[in-house]
Amino acid sequence: MLDFLSNHEKEPLLPEAGAGGPPLMAVIAVISFLATLALAGYLLITSASHNWTRELRSALTIQIPGDTAIAIKDRTDMAVRVLETTEGVVDFRVMPPSEAETLLEPWLGESAVSSYFTLPAIIEVRAEASLQNDISLLKSRMTAAAPGALVNDHSTWKSRLETSVRSAQMLAFSVFLLVMFATAAIAIFAARAGLAANHEIVSILHLVGASDQFIAGQVQRRFLVLGLRGAIFGGLFAILTLFLISIATRTGTIEANFIPGFTITMGLILTLLIVPAITCLVTAMTARLIVLRTLKDSF
Amino acid sequence: MIVDFNNVSLAYGTSHDEPSQALRDINFSIQEGEFRFLTGASGAGKTSLLKLMYLAQRPTRGTLTLFGEDVSQLPREKLPPMRRRIGVVFQEFRLLDHLSAFENVALPMKVAGINHNQYREDVSELLNWVGLGNKMSAKPPTLSGGEKQRVALARALVAKPDLILADEPTGNVDPVMAERIMKLFIELNKLGSAVVVATHDLGLVKHLGKPTISLKQGRLINTNHMVNKTSNNIAAAEFDDDENWLDQEDN
Repeated sequence: MLDFLSNHEKEPLLPEAGAGGPPLMAVIAVISFLATLALAGYLLITSASHNWTRELRSALTIQIPGDTAIAIKDRTDMAVRVLETTEGVVDFRVMPPSEAETLLEPWLGESAVSSYFTLPAIIEVRAEASLQNDISLLKSRMTAAAPGALVNDHSTWKSRLETSVRSAQMLAFSVFLLVMFATAAIAIFAARAGLAANHEIVSILHLVGASDQFIAGQVQRRFLVLGLRGAIFGGLFAILTLFLISIATRTGTIEANFIPGFTITMGLILTLLIVPAITCLVTAMTARLIVLRTLKDSF
Repeated sequence: MIVDFNNVSLAYGTSHDEPSQALRDINFSIQEGEFRFLTGASGAGKTSLLKLMYLAQRPTRGTLTLFGEDVSQLPREKLPPMRRRIGVVFQEFRLLDHLSAFENVALPMKVAGINHNQYREDVSELLNWVGLGNKMSAKPPTLSGGEKQRVALARALVAKPDLILADEPTGNVDPVMAERIMKLFIELNKLGSAVVVATHDLGLVKHLGKPTISLKQGRLINTNHMVNKTSNNIAAAEFDDDENWLDQEDN
């Protein structure tokens, strides 16, 4: 008997009405998709920029120019001796002339470089942060040992890169915030439309003693469920899209350098799952607030 | 005192329009456990008077006191608990079409935060009593007018309110059910609930012999008195020019 009675109660007090049904769920799904991609972009840029700046921070390049190949070789030997006795140098490598020529080939053409130029020697150095922070001593020792040697700590390039990364991060995060703002705006519209469509029901609920908080709670629960469904669908679709991009970069379908270090880790997925949660919470809380504000103006 | 009208007026309309005066200078009170009929011709202001009592409107002038609180000035957040002490049978039923008869009746309990287990037997019993035990899952659009009225009645009574207001509660039911409903009101009245029944059914008023509040063109009229059959209560009553049966009753 009691089981039978419990079957009489299965409908929500406020029916789906206006924009508060499947259309809202579809919009939330699209929003969640975009927000997940925006946050993924932010996280991937942040992660990649850490790798880039770490590499740049530890890298030094020393150019040793000279009029002849012999002069360059002598100066290079002196420079190597300086590096061997300098504290903070992790390791270094003298770039073979053929490798330097290869680097210039795209601009000057094959086999043309050595015929016309005497290329400076290049030494790639990995240095500890302490040496990077006080590069002046190495510069003066290097200039004394190999006149004309140029020690490049990439500071200009590093600074530009960091500025670019910050801009890209800000852009990605701004898109994320903008999408969340759109979520709130849509929730406001849907909640108002739902209240207008359910005006008679809300009036009856008031007359049988429902408080504004009770009615707002009903709307909030409905929007939470709709928002959660839409947000999970959009979020999972975004993660699937990221997986496909990741596979495409690995298989070479997309140029991997375009999105360096693009790998989908479990940590990234777990972080991205925050987006559906935030989306449905923004939806539900906005709907609650807008209902409370609207009902406050009624009797 | 449960209800006290003190020079209460109610006008509809905005500042741009000429306000329509629905009620003017109403003065009367209802004590705990009282039973009153509310009579008057169509447009006399019966529904407006009930609306003030079930807190769908605030008076535009005067003081209306319900359960000792001046509702004219009552903060909004204090209205819901007060409304839960009032059971209303609306003339047009005002059931929620998407809910079952059971859910409609359970609504006052649900909004009061009462647990399902605590009210389901009461709701079931009440629906059985009004003869809808076999239609608990039925939704209002599938019910007849009389059945809807009985669901509305059960919803008004389920929370055992202190004040029961009924707008034409027997208007859509057969005479047998009408008598059962009125007997139920009388029983609830005996148990302590104050009852106000707005009706056109003059036979019913005459038969039960309860005090009457009578309205004409938004004013309370007390030119003709009806002697209650069961007590010395005297209430003002005049229906309209064509239906001055109360004078006959006095005679």
